[in-house]
Amino acid sequence: MPKVVITGLGFICPIGNDQTAVVDSLRRLRHGLSLYPRFDAPNIPVKVAGLVKDFSIESPDPEDWKFPDQYKIRRETLRGFAPHVLFGHCALTQAIADAKLAPDDVSNADTGLFTASAGSAMMLHHNLTRLEKHGVMRCSPLGIVASVVGTLSYNLVAAFKILGSSCGFASACASSGHALGFAWEEVAAGRQKRMLVVGGEDGNLETVLPFAGMRALSLNPDPNTASRPFDRERDGFVGAGGACAVVLETEEEAVRRGAAIYCEMPGWGMASDGYNVAISHPDGSGLAQAMRLALRRSGLQPGDVDYINAHATSTPIGDTSELRALKTVFGVNPSDGPAISSTKALTGHGLSLASILEAGLCAAAIRHGFTPGSAHIQNLDPEAEGLNIIRTNLPEGPRVAMTNSSGFGGANVSLVLQATS
Amino acid sequence: MSSIFWGMAMPELRPENGAFFQFPFSFFRVSSSVHVSNPLSPEAELDLREQLKRCSPETVEGALRYRTTGAPDGVGLVVIGIIERFLDPEVRPRLHAGGDGLRIFDDLGIDSLTMVEVVMLVEDVLQIKINNDELRDLRTIGDVKTYINCRIRGLPLPERPVHVHVAEIMALMPQQPPFLFVQEATLRSDEARGVYKIAGDEFFLEGHFKNNPVLPASIMLEALGQLAVLFLLKTKRAELTAPVSPSKIFFTACDGVRCQRICKAGDLLTLVVKPKRIKHPLGMFEGHITCGNEKVAFAEEICLTFDYAAADEAATVEGNGHAHAENGAASPTPPAARILQPPAGGAERGTARL
Repeated sequence: MPKVVITGLGFICPIGNDQTAVVDSLRRLRHGLSLYPRFDAPNIPVKVAGLVKDFSIESPDPEDWKFPDQYKIRRETLRGFAPHVLFGHCALTQAIADAKLAPDDVSNADTGLFTASAGSAMMLHHNLTRLEKHGVMRCSPLGIVASVVGTLSYNLVAAFKILGSSCGFASACASSGHALGFAWEEVAAGRQKRMLVVGGEDGNLETVLPFAGMRALSLNPDPNTASRPFDRERDGFVGAGGACAVVLETEEEAVRRGAAIYCEMPGWGMASDGYNVAISHPDGSGLAQAMRLALRRSGLQPGDVDYINAHATSTPIGDTSELRALKTVFGVNPSDGPAISSTKALTGHGLSLASILEAGLCAAAIRHGFTPGSAHIQNLDPEAEGLNIIRTNLPEGPRVAMTNSSGFGGANVSLVLQATS
Repeated sequence: MSSIFWGMAMPELRPENGAFFQFPFSFFRVSSSVHVSNPLSPEAELDLREQLKRCSPETVEGALRYRTTGAPDGVGLVVIGIIERFLDPEVRPRLHAGGDGLRIFDDLGIDSLTMVEVVMLVEDVLQIKINNDELRDLRTIGDVKTYINCRIRGLPLPERPVHVHVAEIMALMPQQPPFLFVQEATLRSDEARGVYKIAGDEFFLEGHFKNNPVLPASIMLEALGQLAVLFLLKTKRAELTAPVSPSKIFFTACDGVRCQRICKAGDLLTLVVKPKRIKHPLGMFEGHITCGNEKVAFAEEICLTFDYAAADEAATVEGNGHAHAENGAASPTPPAARILQPPAGGAERGTARL
């Protein structure tokens, strides 16, 4: 079975719009959350969001958008985009450049693209409103393409002239973990030599605010403490937008091209809670099973894991479930237990973006030789007792990192990354 | 322009297809009240300006003038201004430099979806409705100008052209690859337009010239001749009293040929022939070739001889485009060689001057 390695990363997210900025934010544990002007209304109880900087994407008309000059996108390509497709296009452009892939390396039968996105609530709302007001013949011909759940896949597959496997994944906050996991399967099974994987989220009012209705968002108006996974006082997550792109390929292909390898992806696992549509299992049973399967698939023991990037979104129930799952798999006060942190304290929770963003942060941490800590914890949740939640960075990178994600319906994904020797 | 993409038909633009699609007043009322001042409400003007916010100021002013006065002059420029707004900046100079022959898809890169955007804006701004089937006939900027002019002035629409695709061309024509130089054609009763793209691997380029592959002028002339053959086979002209037999058309003469541009691999040639006189057994045509906005070649006169299909052949020839399959199979002469053979009494009548 071919070894699967990561050779390229791209980031457009609240803590930076390229790898240099993102790593700098991680090293300083500097968050990217702020007051969101569109939340500044008396009937909106939520105030903070993780916004992407240097992009102006509030209009539903892509021709109104402003984004950094380095990204050249033609009108006929841009017109079918939702905001997160623009983020995804830019992140993928970075990842392709980072992996030093030529256009022929991207557009061939051996290279595919998997995506994760929940579609664009804003574009859907805009197009349906227009349909009701002006009639269907006055709607943009690409309104569907820009709105529905597959938008990230449709647009990027066409724009990057993908000829291999392509598919979009939608499993809420586990989506981009599934996209990476199934991309791994595609390469490991020898069906593709290379997979590009992109997860994205608009992260705007239309995407984030509905979560306030289910009481999942933090009502804390202070950007410095609103997202504080594992803190006793945590009160919900902070919604975020952006995109992350990862290039997976066979080790053989990476070596043949002379590409710099970030790390290996030795395996992954998934399992479901079978419990509740929106509430995680109190004991984190599905997540524990996903972690066990990921380790088994990777040929590793719990003691081999140096670092876990937790899903922990800063919700009271979710973080507790995950802490229990971690104790189930790694034990309480293990002598060789992994360091654990949630980078969502810095990035906020990117929903469909979350899993791949955190895998990208783990790969960057392995490359740059440090382990990011869990920021904003003032009083550690007693539930975390017996686990090594690191509140500051460790000066060395993990050899084996694991990153968890859980989504609606009780879908759990655990991905494993391993430094190459 | 294909109206089919990703398995979905292009949205029907027929007015009867939906109550959504009603305008406050019909186009014909506008045109019948030409030059009657009909000031726009401030809201309508704002709306129009918003819709045209990415168009040139001239386009906005032209549209406002039309909507206020109903005067048709300048409407063509408004439509060109709307098309321009949907073009990539690097393509825009082509629109201004190009003549009416500029092709919407091939030269400007406007695909069928962009065309829908153009049409929606034109419909809104000029308050007209454009049917989907009419839209398919608009292939060049000239087609668009003519169409809009007819609609605005209430004139009858021009004759609908016949589009002939490569498969039908191959089925109809006595010439076959690798000696067929018409890849797509649009036929009207007074004109045939064809397309030939130089692929670069044509057999004759190898020796023409040594280390410098250039399309031979004789092939340019051949391409125009082939388009004239297609015209005789496919167009129903009053002078043609019966279906023309594809196996009985031959070249006899050409006159006044001038070549103005060297053509190489990758060039997309537009071929045009217009009948000057057709009287059995001769058809006289004028022809020219362009590449983008550049002149390639001109022939004052290309003369073909033709004969009608025999009664048993005629049914096949007239019925559909599959006449050649039968003819070719029956012919002992390979199609490529046939056009080079002078017909009895044909070649002596004229002299080719190349």
